[in-house]
Amino acid sequence: MKVTLKWLKEFVDFSLTPDELAHALTMAGLEVEEFYTERHDFSKIVVGKVLSVEKHPNADRLTVCTVDTGDGQFSVVCGAPNVSPGMLSPFAMNGGTVANGMKITSREVRGVKSSGMLCSEAELGLSERAAGLMVLPENTPVGLNMEDYVGNPDTVFDISITSNRPDCLSIIGIAREIAAITGTSLKKQKTTFAVTPQENIDDYIKVDIKNSFKCARYSGRLIQNVKIKPSPFWLASRLHSVGIRSINNVVDITNYIMMETSQPLHAFDYKKLAGKTINVREAVDGEKFVTLDEQEHILDKEALLICDAEKPVALAGIMGGLNSEVDNSTETIFLESAYFDPGNIRRTAKKIDLFTESSRRFERGTDPNGTVFAMDRAAKLMQELADGRVLSSFIDNYPRKITPVEIDLSVKNTNKLLGTNLSAENITAYFPALEIGINKQENDLIQIKAPTFRPDLTREVDIIEEIARLYNYDNIIPVLAPPVNQEQEANQKVNFKDQVRHYLAGFGFKETVAYSLVSEKLAEPFIPSKNEFAQLLNPISRDMAGFRPSILLSLLTTVAYNRNRQKSNLRLYEIGNVAWKDQQKEGFTEFTQIGGILAGKSQEQSWYGPEESYNFYDIKGAVAALLHKCGINGYEQGQVVEPFWDVESSSILINGKYCGAFGKFNQDVCSLFKIKVADIYGFFINYEELFENRLKDKKYDPVSKFPSVPFDLAILIDANIALHEIEKEIKNSAGPHLIKIRLFDFYKGEQVKKGKKSIAFSLTFSSKECTLGDEEVEQAVNNVLAHLNKLFGAVLRPG
Amino acid sequence: MAENLQTIIAQISEIAAEFNKDIQQTKSRDDTEQVKVKFLSRKGVVQNLFVLLGTLENQDRPRAGAELNRLKNDIQNAIDEKLKSFQTGKRSIELFDPTLPGKEYHIGSFHPLLQVLDEIKDIFVGMGFRIEEGNEIETDYHNFEALNIPPDHPSRDMHDTFYMGGKYLLRTHTSPVQIHTMEQQKPPIRMIAPGKCYRKDTPDASHSPIFNQVEGLCVDKGVSFGDLKGVVQAFAQKMFGKDAKVRFRPSFFPFTEPSAEYDFSCFCKGKGCRVCKNTGWLEISGAGMVDPAVFGFVDYDPQVYSGYAFGMGVERIAMLKYRVNDIRIFYENDVRFLEQF
Repeated sequence: MKVTLKWLKEFVDFSLTPDELAHALTMAGLEVEEFYTERHDFSKIVVGKVLSVEKHPNADRLTVCTVDTGDGQFSVVCGAPNVSPGMLSPFAMNGGTVANGMKITSREVRGVKSSGMLCSEAELGLSERAAGLMVLPENTPVGLNMEDYVGNPDTVFDISITSNRPDCLSIIGIAREIAAITGTSLKKQKTTFAVTPQENIDDYIKVDIKNSFKCARYSGRLIQNVKIKPSPFWLASRLHSVGIRSINNVVDITNYIMMETSQPLHAFDYKKLAGKTINVREAVDGEKFVTLDEQEHILDKEALLICDAEKPVALAGIMGGLNSEVDNSTETIFLESAYFDPGNIRRTAKKIDLFTESSRRFERGTDPNGTVFAMDRAAKLMQELADGRVLSSFIDNYPRKITPVEIDLSVKNTNKLLGTNLSAENITAYFPALEIGINKQENDLIQIKAPTFRPDLTREVDIIEEIARLYNYDNIIPVLAPPVNQEQEANQKVNFKDQVRHYLAGFGFKETVAYSLVSEKLAEPFIPSKNEFAQLLNPISRDMAGFRPSILLSLLTTVAYNRNRQKSNLRLYEIGNVAWKDQQKEGFTEFTQIGGILAGKSQEQSWYGPEESYNFYDIKGAVAALLHKCGINGYEQGQVVEPFWDVESSSILINGKYCGAFGKFNQDVCSLFKIKVADIYGFFINYEELFENRLKDKKYDPVSKFPSVPFDLAILIDANIALHEIEKEIKNSAGPHLIKIRLFDFYKGEQVKKGKKSIAFSLTFSSKECTLGDEEVEQAVNNVLAHLNKLFGAVLRPG
Repeated sequence: MAENLQTIIAQISEIAAEFNKDIQQTKSRDDTEQVKVKFLSRKGVVQNLFVLLGTLENQDRPRAGAELNRLKNDIQNAIDEKLKSFQTGKRSIELFDPTLPGKEYHIGSFHPLLQVLDEIKDIFVGMGFRIEEGNEIETDYHNFEALNIPPDHPSRDMHDTFYMGGKYLLRTHTSPVQIHTMEQQKPPIRMIAPGKCYRKDTPDASHSPIFNQVEGLCVDKGVSFGDLKGVVQAFAQKMFGKDAKVRFRPSFFPFTEPSAEYDFSCFCKGKGCRVCKNTGWLEISGAGMVDPAVFGFVDYDPQVYSGYAFGMGVERIAMLKYRVNDIRIFYENDVRFLEQF
């Protein structure tokens, strides 16, 4: 919302500098985004008198004019259609600069010399009007510098208005705030004007409101004999300052009053209204209507229409119709000033995606008791600027009267909520400028009447905010109370996640955070069968069409991004949410996943050794280390179900449940991500499972004071027996003193029988009670051998 | 030739004695290597005894195996010791160069956004707040309605929302976590909700459709706006140093009343710089006293309880802290960027 300093000063007196005003408004909740003084470079731009106008010899649309500046006469080629002998207009002399930065010099235009330029308002940056030369009043002194004609430049404030303050979408609203901040009051504005006597508006028009909820009030005036013409310079330039285009005097007046009062007005061409009737009714489903901007809208029965006896003529509160628009031949205006239900206007504007200055105000809430004031302000201007004759009587249908809200305010509650110590007098002192009325005041209680232009004031707490605002938040003293409810338990689920992050960073993985919105194409291989992509209805792009179904998708995207930047060796992790749409039930499945990735070389060629590439056992090592740190030692492996893995892959089963998988990504998925070399290994684990199965209660296990005894055991065993099975059975049969099993040799191939493998474990035995004797260790190993032999047919490997 | 246990044990003792004599006489690496070949090679003395193991009775094998293993280990250790003793010789001194680079480590790291988030979490946990998390796919009810943002309310314009069909959407703030928490617990409540949020912004240097937010909530008897200012100020000082100042300005949020925007003093200490656009203040986020209407949705009595809520953008703070000038960099995960943290 743009306002100007001069305009504000018409409604309130204050002496703040622009800087001080910007700060004061910001600290009262009206954030000033920027403010600037309009600067025009008017040096060498003076009032010129057009002495003669001749046709240009070589161009139909150009004229050659003689312009007098008092100091001399200049011959100028001019293209403006409104140039005429005797007119006064701004004249830029050679050396002057116009608004677009062009410097005026003597030059030839189609073979005729031209010195200087006659200017439009747009060329001087005073308004958008560019169609013709700026016409200056006859009594303007010739040769006067334009700066002296235009006066001091105005200062424009661009203020961001929060959606609860529709009253501040107006000059008066902001002036009222300034009055409240500075402790003064608003200047009263006159709405008096001459009226035609003894005519009854009912003879001209009847208004019928069919839905008083959607239209609580409809006021209107008839103005006859208007002359549609360009607005005077002051009006066009003021609208220009606040960002509104000048159209003609009547339309400009409605906009000007809307900016001043926040009450949107609409001017109908009375002769285009059939049957001397206005009907305010709901549309029928599918009803079509063409608005002023020549767009056709298809409406539903929620929408509210302003109709004449035959047809809709305006889309209530949003935009007028093309069929009743004011044009140059308009003689009589029917001026509408109404109150429409905010929710209904918003729903309609949203449905047809048409937001206007008018709808913006109605949907936030205008003042139902301000319709006549705004209408009369406009009528006054129409009389002054369009020679209009205002009919004495007017329409004011107000079937659903909206009265001020009464609120009980407790001084005690105010101080309790704000942490202040204000007296009733302190508090009530803020009310007059805000036009908050006081019905009565008893002890702690103040009964308040909130003005109807403030739809945001309905409860005690709303009034407390007004008090806090004007007291100034800065003056409320910060209190740091001792922490309450420190007894509450920490959130283990959050803490453990942070622990997992520390483990992975400790293992040398770098943490990444990727966009969790991805394309459907990349998501496809990661969505479990029988589920669907969690798609957005209104994505910003195809690349961000829905929620990622896997953390690995993000990590592969990151790998591709870095590989495109010559970073091929990567060791990354990410923890984040993934989701998909459930086919089985309503809604979405969303959960947290941990993912890690190893890409390229684990070690580059160096002075101490050759290069090494990551392999399956690197990623398995990472998974095992993570599970170990989480206290999960008994995981099992199985077949993977995800389609993106290579044969070198394995699932992670904890207590028999599929909790994740690891391995090498296959060529197809690498190609999908445009990763050229398929040397990427990864893992994912669902966080919930890791959290649930973690070792919750760590307890110290005393270490033995006695020496441990190592024993190497080499066996031959069927090649298809899984190592974790063998280790499990060794543990099952070795007795209580086996404390560690470590595989140190593995061989499959020519040296051993087909279908067999040779494996060697280093077993460590130790007791907490005594030094183990050879006999005990031998017995244990014998038991292991016998057990493995019985179960798997394993035999001791011959030396 | 079948052996019995006693003869094997006896041979082990003899070999041990012989080895001890040999190893004592070695005077160089080469001498020692020769002794190693004699005792430990594939056709060495010890290996020969291992072959004999196979001829023992089954019940004797483990005992003999254990003894033999021990002998082998002892010999290996003694040879290693001896070899090491020669390493201080001239040759190895020549090879040693302390300026050669050390072996490379894989250096793990935390993402800068989450480092900042960790810091924020630590500060609030220290002030008695509990961390709560929630889903990123939320319902309209929890993201809007229960926060006093009814359908068709203009304040929804502040939240350009991604919709997922039906009642589902991507949360536009972490405030729904507060609603879930209040639905499940009675006051007193002191919590923060960190997490990813989504708004339909086209990515550019200062906008990201995905961003991280921390929202705080405190509900108890007698909680005041002064308490809110106190907590936010304490946070600013812990995060940015004891000279950090906080400024509160009135604003509007449907879920708080009174509502505020709060700013932190700029690093330029009010002198004015490019970062603060010469205002001396950095806009951080919004805060306020919980609107009684919100309490209505979670069945708290606003006559008994009051509370404050505040929010902050993690990216905003990380950008200020690390002088990052483009928000998109955080989500690119360029390792040359990540390595710097």
